[in-house]
Amino acid sequence: MSNEIWVIADMKMDGSIRKVSFEALSEAKRSMQSKIGGPLCAVLMGSGVADKAEALGKYGAEKVYVVDNAHLKDFNPDGYVKALSELVAKHQPHIVLAGNTSFTEDYIPRVAARTGSGLAMEAIDMGLTDDNRLTVKRYSHSSKAISEIEFKAGNTMMATIRPNTYKEEESPVSPEVINEQVDISDADIKVKVVNLETKMSDRPELTEAERVVAGGRGLGSEENFKYIYDLADVLSAAAGATRAAVDAGYCPYDMQVGQTGKAVSPTLYFAVAISGAVQHFSGMGTSKVIVSINKDPETPIFAKSDYAICGDLFEVLPVLSEELKKALAE
Amino acid sequence: MKIVVFVSQTLDTEARVAVSSSGDSVATDDVKWILNPYDEFAVEEAIQTKEKLGGEVIVVSAGPARGIDAIRQALAMGADSGVHIKDDGFAETDNYTIAKIVASEIKKIDGVDFVLTGMKIIDDESVQVGIQLAEELGLPHVSLVSKVVEVDASKLVCQKEIDGGSVVVEVPLPALITCPDAMNEPRYASLPNIMKAKKKPVNEVTLDDIDFDTLGISRDAVGKSGSKVTTVKIEVPVIDRKLKIIKGSDDTTVKGEEIAQAVQELVQLLRDDAKVL
Repeated sequence: MSNEIWVIADMKMDGSIRKVSFEALSEAKRSMQSKIGGPLCAVLMGSGVADKAEALGKYGAEKVYVVDNAHLKDFNPDGYVKALSELVAKHQPHIVLAGNTSFTEDYIPRVAARTGSGLAMEAIDMGLTDDNRLTVKRYSHSSKAISEIEFKAGNTMMATIRPNTYKEEESPVSPEVINEQVDISDADIKVKVVNLETKMSDRPELTEAERVVAGGRGLGSEENFKYIYDLADVLSAAAGATRAAVDAGYCPYDMQVGQTGKAVSPTLYFAVAISGAVQHFSGMGTSKVIVSINKDPETPIFAKSDYAICGDLFEVLPVLSEELKKALAE
Repeated sequence: MKIVVFVSQTLDTEARVAVSSSGDSVATDDVKWILNPYDEFAVEEAIQTKEKLGGEVIVVSAGPARGIDAIRQALAMGADSGVHIKDDGFAETDNYTIAKIVASEIKKIDGVDFVLTGMKIIDDESVQVGIQLAEELGLPHVSLVSKVVEVDASKLVCQKEIDGGSVVVEVPLPALITCPDAMNEPRYASLPNIMKAKKKPVNEVTLDDIDFDTLGISRDAVGKSGSKVTTVKIEVPVIDRKLKIIKGSDDTTVKGEEIAQAVQELVQLLRDDAKVL
């Protein structure tokens, strides 16, 4: 086992590095590196990605392992499993961190199995024991419990981190770039993309947004979700929804927040016409400030909110959008 | 087509969750044990595939004696037979080892074409065990399949949602998929089918039947001490919020002029109290 800490640079569809990768680098720099003693490293995998190493250095990555391979274009978990597994087997890092995204959730478990690494997913807190073993806190039991997980020594320790859990903090260095050759052939790629649809939106992506405005079934129709989008746009927020609203066809599945959908942890979360069922709360309960708008004075979400207005969303939201527009312009 | 579904029995998290006296697990005295809800979608998808293409559905589970109930429920939904890997130590065993043991039993079934499991096990909220099972089986996987577009004897075409879009992929069979709740409507087991399920064959397997040498792990890997990761503490999260609820004068909804007042108060709180604007 080496004393290196690795952070995987996870990339968006447009090829930019996700904010959560910088958050992970920042936290590793702040809380882990001085104890473990080795260099902070980033792993950059993709096709035509070599120029992104500098961006990782900005957040403290002293070494950047680069796997630049045409087979790592777009959605391609088989290629990533092979590349990262070979790198981990070769260099034996002490800790490997990644943001918890739909992509890492898909391929990191296979890497952990292939390399015999311990794995804990969707951390909301991390620490180190006296003998530098990783500890991770994560939600369990439909978010009704928080489990603290401790890793055994002797294997690489892997964890994925819920986005927006840690603050990103610049700590610029000029990274040493190490080009790694991984032999990926067509035969390695079993899962082949037939069609890739990217959804272009002017709004920020749900999982990394600083602010989220989400609506429930009480919106009543697809057209009425305009109330949610209007408020979201005033706040430069992402738009979210409950499972009930998605099931009713008011908005697409990629807006779903909760146990089945996405887990978010923004600074500000607006829950509009949402009762706060555990299935939804598990996906947004770590938000820093929760505001709810609900016409039911007895709604359970009020007991889980910082601020709330008991009122009809169709009356309250237009006024709120206007007032916030004014407040933000000041 | 020979279809295998890997299912788990979980405690019903709809109910209250309390911490056990040891502090490192959830109290199980009065809990209800259920078939992992996400596994129901996997069982349903397996049965629908069998109805379309013919063949059989085999349910495989690893757990203590009570785990048979989860297998029977899948059989009552329409699966044909079961394999119960029975041991009390699985609850404290990490996903890495469980995937290896379950894979070793699935490998003993001849000619498996298609393996399915739920996208998550709701008690430890593990999304990884299904994917690690694919790795141990040496099969390709597609996780979080929102829709099966096409399946035949040799290949599977399916859709999955990813951050910032959706993707349709084609994968040769045999392969493994993990199933979220959006993909189908699990059927209810009728009373006659529940009765019939009691007579369907379930092969009981113990750790003595597992060839640990071939798996590259020791028998001690089952249980807390042998796991690469262990739960050392469980807490019930405390909800600590400010609870500033603005209501109307009659203690219900804000009306008329109260709406503008309430909104102004809220904006002021967000700016000066929470400092998030």
